[in-house]
Amino acid sequence: MRRYLPLALAAAVSPFCARAAAQDVLLQARRIVVAPDAVLDDGRVLLRQGKVAYVGTEVPAEARARARRVDYGPAFVVPGFVLAQTTLGHDADLAERALPFTPDLRAAEAADPWQEDLLELPRHGVTALALAPASGNVAGGIAALVKSGRERAVVGDDLYLTLSLARNARQAERPPTSLMGAVDLLRSAFDGVRTGIGQGPDAAVLRQAMQGTRGVFVYADNFAELNAALDLGRDFGLRLVLVGAAHAEKVLPRLVQQQAAVVLGTLRPELRRAELELPARLAVAGVPFCFGGDPELLRQSAALAVQYGLDRRSALQALTRVPAALLDRDGTLGALRQGHAADFVVFTGDPLDLSSAHVATWVDGVLVAGSEPGAAPVAEPPAAAAGVR
Amino acid sequence: MNRPLPLAAAALLLAASVPSQDVLAVKGGQVVTVSGPTIDDGVVLIENGRITKVAKAADVEIPWTAKVIDATGKVVMPTWVVAHSQAGQRGFNENMQNVPWLSVADAIDPAAIWFEDALRNGIGTIHVLPGNQTLLGGAGMVVRPYGRTVEDMAVAGNTGVKLSLLATGGGRLQQIRRLRRAIEDVREYVADFDRRKAEFEQEQAAGAIAADKTWDEQIDRTKRNAVDLVQKKARGWLYVPSAAELDEALRLSQQLDLVLVLGRNIDEGVPLLTKLAQPVVLDAELEYFETDDETQKERKLCTAKLLADAGVPFVLSIGDGGPTAYPWWQLGTCVRNGVDRQKAIEALTTVPAKLLGLADQVGAIAEGKLGNLQILTGDPLQATTWVETVVLEGAVAYERSKDPRLKLLFVEPKPAEPKPAGGDKAAEPPAPAPTPAPAPASTGTPDGGTGDGKPQDGGR
Amino acid sequence: MSRLASVLVPFALGTALAAQTTVFTGARILPGGAPPIADGVLVVTGGRIAAVGDAATPVPDGAAIVDCRGRTITPGLIDASFRGGAAAGDLNEQGDEVTPHLRALDSLDPDDPALARARAAGVTAVHLMPGTRNVIGGLGCVVKTAGTDPAAMLVKADVSLRIVMGSEPSAENRAIRGGRVDSIYYRRPTTRMGVVWETRRAFHEAKQALELSLGATPAPPDRGREVLQRVLRGDLTAYTTARSEQDIRTALRIAAEFGYRTVIDEAQDAWVVADELLAAQVTVLLGAPSAAQVQGSAGRDGADPRYATAKLLADRGIPFVITTGTNTAALELVREAMFAARNGVAPAQAIDAVTIAPARLLGIADRTGSLAAGKDADFVVWSHDPLDPAAVAESVHIDGKPVPASR
Repeated sequence: MRRYLPLALAAAVSPFCARAAAQDVLLQARRIVVAPDAVLDDGRVLLRQGKVAYVGTEVPAEARARARRVDYGPAFVVPGFVLAQTTLGHDADLAERALPFTPDLRAAEAADPWQEDLLELPRHGVTALALAPASGNVAGGIAALVKSGRERAVVGDDLYLTLSLARNARQAERPPTSLMGAVDLLRSAFDGVRTGIGQGPDAAVLRQAMQGTRGVFVYADNFAELNAALDLGRDFGLRLVLVGAAHAEKVLPRLVQQQAAVVLGTLRPELRRAELELPARLAVAGVPFCFGGDPELLRQSAALAVQYGLDRRSALQALTRVPAALLDRDGTLGALRQGHAADFVVFTGDPLDLSSAHVATWVDGVLVAGSEPGAAPVAEPPAAAAGVR
Repeated sequence: MNRPLPLAAAALLLAASVPSQDVLAVKGGQVVTVSGPTIDDGVVLIENGRITKVAKAADVEIPWTAKVIDATGKVVMPTWVVAHSQAGQRGFNENMQNVPWLSVADAIDPAAIWFEDALRNGIGTIHVLPGNQTLLGGAGMVVRPYGRTVEDMAVAGNTGVKLSLLATGGGRLQQIRRLRRAIEDVREYVADFDRRKAEFEQEQAAGAIAADKTWDEQIDRTKRNAVDLVQKKARGWLYVPSAAELDEALRLSQQLDLVLVLGRNIDEGVPLLTKLAQPVVLDAELEYFETDDETQKERKLCTAKLLADAGVPFVLSIGDGGPTAYPWWQLGTCVRNGVDRQKAIEALTTVPAKLLGLADQVGAIAEGKLGNLQILTGDPLQATTWVETVVLEGAVAYERSKDPRLKLLFVEPKPAEPKPAGGDKAAEPPAPAPTPAPAPASTGTPDGGTGDGKPQDGGR
Repeated sequence: MSRLASVLVPFALGTALAAQTTVFTGARILPGGAPPIADGVLVVTGGRIAAVGDAATPVPDGAAIVDCRGRTITPGLIDASFRGGAAAGDLNEQGDEVTPHLRALDSLDPDDPALARARAAGVTAVHLMPGTRNVIGGLGCVVKTAGTDPAAMLVKADVSLRIVMGSEPSAENRAIRGGRVDSIYYRRPTTRMGVVWETRRAFHEAKQALELSLGATPAPPDRGREVLQRVLRGDLTAYTTARSEQDIRTALRIAAEFGYRTVIDEAQDAWVVADELLAAQVTVLLGAPSAAQVQGSAGRDGADPRYATAKLLADRGIPFVITTGTNTAALELVREAMFAARNGVAPAQAIDAVTIAPARLLGIADRTGSLAAGKDADFVVWSHDPLDPAAVAESVHIDGKPVPASR
């Protein structure tokens, strides 16, 4: 998993980043959301070498004087959104069709740092994402952390293991074709690891999952799939995150009991009411959840959830802190606390009001979309001009 | 697939028959007249095919010449009346869409097992019409399920024309347009005919045509039924597959004398139906499920109950297989869903009789009506009740004790009887019941316990 | 999610069920396997039956009384061969034709509409088996028809191994000729013979491995084979779906050949082979006695259902259970019992055939299937005689809790 650090470092020394490393930036705005529970009014944050160095009154006067001042005036600054699971629409590359069970495949190896979709994401507020194997395999593989925005995206650490009980994992012309077949496949694999029969790289991944050192994201939508996923999580001690989970309200007590989390799909106004109210119910029950699905509609999902009863703080949390935590990266992503990556998004107002416009997105202390105050906007990446995917 | 049931079709022919000139007395049973009060220990006298007396046993003197059927401990009811059926025909859906000149008289198969079953289940009057898949399908007729030829079976002819809004090849709107066009064509034809006739008369009056010449053109034979329909001389029986077609059906029923034959999924249209002059005909499947889009919960609906609640009069249909082929199941389904028992029974007796214009003939046990009755082993709404005897126009048309098909169905096979392979059904010996029942296993059918044969694709 | 534990709000998992006592009085009680009680009393405490008896049965102080005069109470019905309970396709694992170790329970969808329909019609437990598209489909289970968590709904796991005779397991398989070459349907069996061959091979290998394992070298573990060995050892009952006479004979023959115990499921032609069934001492599941024809994917198998079959089995002393089975034309289970009664089965026996008889067959009679003190409070309050076509289940209770009715 550490193998990829050199690559990340290589990216960091690219000339594009060099300028950021050279000089501190003093970020100022009417309102800076350091974390959903820590909001600075007329605040300032000092960014150094792509990270948050000081917050608010902690900023030393001497550093303040030397820093390049970036004042967004009346705008809102929020931590960059974290997308806990996405295939960026490239399911074909992220689901091995011939085999149902490929836990040791790595999404990092399918990630194309030059992929144009990645350039789009900052405009929608997304600064970090987990590129995950798609839902077509019962065990898909290992997701990779990707930071978006720059011309060449940074493909980083390996993250969680993805499993899938969703319909398209059992529709191909290969076994399993049924839910019970899929469940049995996983159960026997985990059993094999437990009894020591299972060996090899795939068993190693499963062992990490059973030991809790690697999270497990399971694609599951309906009642039966969710129950099956929760059963597996219970029986093998998995740190479970359910992806999709359209009918999660039916298994709410089990989610609480097993401390499972949920990555929701895109919320759309035409969905069942139960699905629109799900975020609010999860929040009340204390189930960690984040918004997922179409990266371009993250804000819309959050705004809809607010309209259906979710409090704004939880909604913002579900875009930033919770997904960062689900990726075990809440020490570096999802907030603007000291030591966190300097990933943030600037909106003209509250990001949960869809009337607020996007102003700018910074990743690792570098402006990657939008504009600096008083400056001409950064040249739009060519893909952005071509329109959204 | 199924083993053929030899002699099945012959069952009717074997039933004993008495000349209808005789006097028939059914005595001792509980007489459910339907139209009047129920009479315990009653007597029904039938002379020359008509009911002449219905009264308490104590109040009637049974003529000594009468053939007497003792119905003590049993229930005597009018035979059921089915106002709309397409079963019992060989091919009831003509592929050509506009064929009003056809008649079911040419399609009815007197040997169809469906008729045999209908009789076995106490049905005495059936209005047979073309199927639901033909735009303008032809004329129907009323029959009784008894007789070797269609003429034997006939009760009334030219009982109306079948129309259908069921979309076949093309969408719903196209079907509506086609039906409008077809009716408009007939109207134009009539107008043209009338114009030519008027011209003829004018010219004759003007002397251009000899006075002794008469107008001898007649309505085109292939159009006569349709012309009768648009001139409201004949009734139309319009199949309405769902609530979506109901608006058009109601519009048409303003112009024509229509009875609506409803499909199953009609609940949204119930309020519209309250405006109709005639009772509606219900689909044989009375219950169906609807899923709520939001909650995904299912809801069970019963068309009879919906209409009863809305105050819309209706008649029941009898299916051509499965439980809906049993009148007791249809009535039980109504009552189970909260329809008043008497109303349910009327929907299979007096209401369809009136709808068919046969209220003075069938549908109730009353003096002056046809001598049609059934004798049941018990309550007509019980599953364990069986029809013992059916009397049609004073003649015994069915007796359960002599029903060869029931015997065949209930006989225990010989222990070593080899089952013929699926292919050579014809090779099976037609012996119905040579096996003496291994005692007491099948000494007949205790507790009314016999099975009746359901049609094995009989009338198709 | 340990890192997020601090975010979690403590959540009470349902309050403990108060030991509330409810008494149902005045009903005619058909306890299942026992004589009817004309003016009966049913006492329910904490999800279990505390007492059943006549009007003299003592009513505990403070109990809630439900007046059931004119009603009939029966045990909750048990459908010993139930089609549904999972999404279409989820009960047929098409990856292989012999999958003895797969468990239908893993595919259970508590939200399946078929379960809701069954429960509204008085069915409180169903035997859920893998589908009929495999030669050896896998393990069946008994679940209650209400609940959200399969583990909580489960009455008994691994009660049966489903084996299927006839044309269904081979229906969509293809010989290597034409079509897509990467299809998993390129495989045996494609004939009835092939179906039998697959069954025999599976059991033969299991038997051989069993015999080997008694010697020095243990065979490598194989979960499918272990299930078959449980059947061979008599620890698990096979449920062989066999509709036509030919298939029933085959099912009996293979069971005799390998010496395992089987139940004949969907035995439509049982009336033809009554002697063989009697001699083999097997229980017969009679699917949909109301139907005159086998409808659904097994329609082509040539079985010829007869109305008199149930009565014949009763008269000959062949144990039978009435089910809805695989026939797509099947009615609600209680109506199937009603049709059996219409066709000559004594009413009490017809009710037993959907309550205590399936409970005994499935080995769950200690918990459900009849009304007796100590059993789960699974029962139905019918508007009147349940064998009347106009009867409705006014309330259905599972573990003492009324489940929402659908009317």
